[in-house]
Amino acid sequence: MTGKRPIKFRILELFLDGEEHWNYEIVPKIQKEYNMKGNYGRDSINFDIIELASGGMLKDVEQKVDEEGIYKKGFLLHKYIITDFGRVRGSDACIRYV
Amino acid sequence: MDLKALKTQESKRKISKGYMWALFCAVFWGIWYLPGTVVWVLNPFDEMYKIIAGTSGDAESLVVTAALITAFNALTVMLALMLWNGVLGKFGELGRTLKEFNPCSKWFFLASIFGGPIAILGSFMAMGFIGGAFAAVAALLYPVIGSVLAYYWYGEKISKRAATGIIIIILGGITIFGGGVMTELATGKIPWIGYLGGLMAAAGWGIEGAIAGKGLDISEPDVGLTLRFLGENIIWWIIIVPILAIVGFPMYSFALQAFEPLTLLVLIFAGITFGFCYVCWYKSFPLIGVGRGQGIGNLYGLFAIIFIFLFFGEIPEWTILVGGTLCVIGSFTMFTEETSALETLRGE
Repeated sequence: MTGKRPIKFRILELFLDGEEHWNYEIVPKIQKEYNMKGNYGRDSINFDIIELASGGMLKDVEQKVDEEGIYKKGFLLHKYIITDFGRVRGSDACIRYV
Repeated sequence: MDLKALKTQESKRKISKGYMWALFCAVFWGIWYLPGTVVWVLNPFDEMYKIIAGTSGDAESLVVTAALITAFNALTVMLALMLWNGVLGKFGELGRTLKEFNPCSKWFFLASIFGGPIAILGSFMAMGFIGGAFAAVAALLYPVIGSVLAYYWYGEKISKRAATGIIIIILGGITIFGGGVMTELATGKIPWIGYLGGLMAAAGWGIEGAIAGKGLDISEPDVGLTLRFLGENIIWWIIIVPILAIVGFPMYSFALQAFEPLTLLVLIFAGITFGFCYVCWYKSFPLIGVGRGQGIGNLYGLFAIIFIFLFFGEIPEWTILVGGTLCVIGSFTMFTEETSALETLRGE
């Protein structure tokens, strides 16, 4: 069923495993599933993650500088974990499809 | 650059982006009152108002005409938004989100009920009966309702500073409404429908913001917004306009007459400014929160007064100026917070 649901649902679903994930792991995964190649697709997915975090559904737990350019050289990389609120919202939206 | 500096920079960038969107919203929103006021004197709406007033009275005629104008406004906004989503390449996401009725679309349709037939209709009523400046400034009260609802409903934080801002805005609101009613008591004729419209605008938009925040947190703003206007178009063109026609108002004959160049141009102008004001509004919410997004968006009152003065040469009543200034000061108080407090907007 992947590729057929809103992108933020899919992002939350990936975080529902309760593990911490780096944005550079999530973004390429979504890019591939939704066929959103290129910098525009990448930044727009990353912005979705930022919005989820500022909405209190994801928590930014760790940052590091992208020195080698694995994602975006010289920028910050973020590691997120789902919050209780995110779990509730994510379950509302996603669980019945899982 | 070290990690800490980079973090501060990134957080600042995010917040300033949120404020920038909110400011753009204010400019577009302020401009919207120009076509919104002008459209009342254009064919077929001026004709429609006169004819219905002759049979049903001024008040009823005003509301029915405002309904048709609001319906056209919704239609042109939808056109502007479809173009916007096309440019961003978001039609796919639009379809995916629309299908998620329970978690998403439901909220957007609910938001459209409060936004459309309450807030926008109320604004047009206030514009038609009292004037653009009053309509603009009366709606300035909406962040109060939005913030309080967001606080009780999903625990969005309201800091002391934001609360102070809210109180100042309320004082401004009392000046605008109270002052206007006092002046008109002297003349003995109070345009109650206009004041009712002003209140509808404030309450409707405040509730809309809080409801939209609910579906918005798990969807994309551009998409959510388009669905909200899809909802409004359904409400107007499939429910309200046909009902008014069945009741006996000549809705369709006047609707068809709206397709003449000048009227269309003004309606499209209204659609573009209003559509993009909403785009910016919704984009600011996830970055700075509903309360703050609405607070800065509130500067539109100032812009509206300036634009109305520049284009129509109208200077509003002093009560509107003083009340409007208080509202803008209140908005500034709400948004000049320490940025560190904004890192997470909701309690955990």
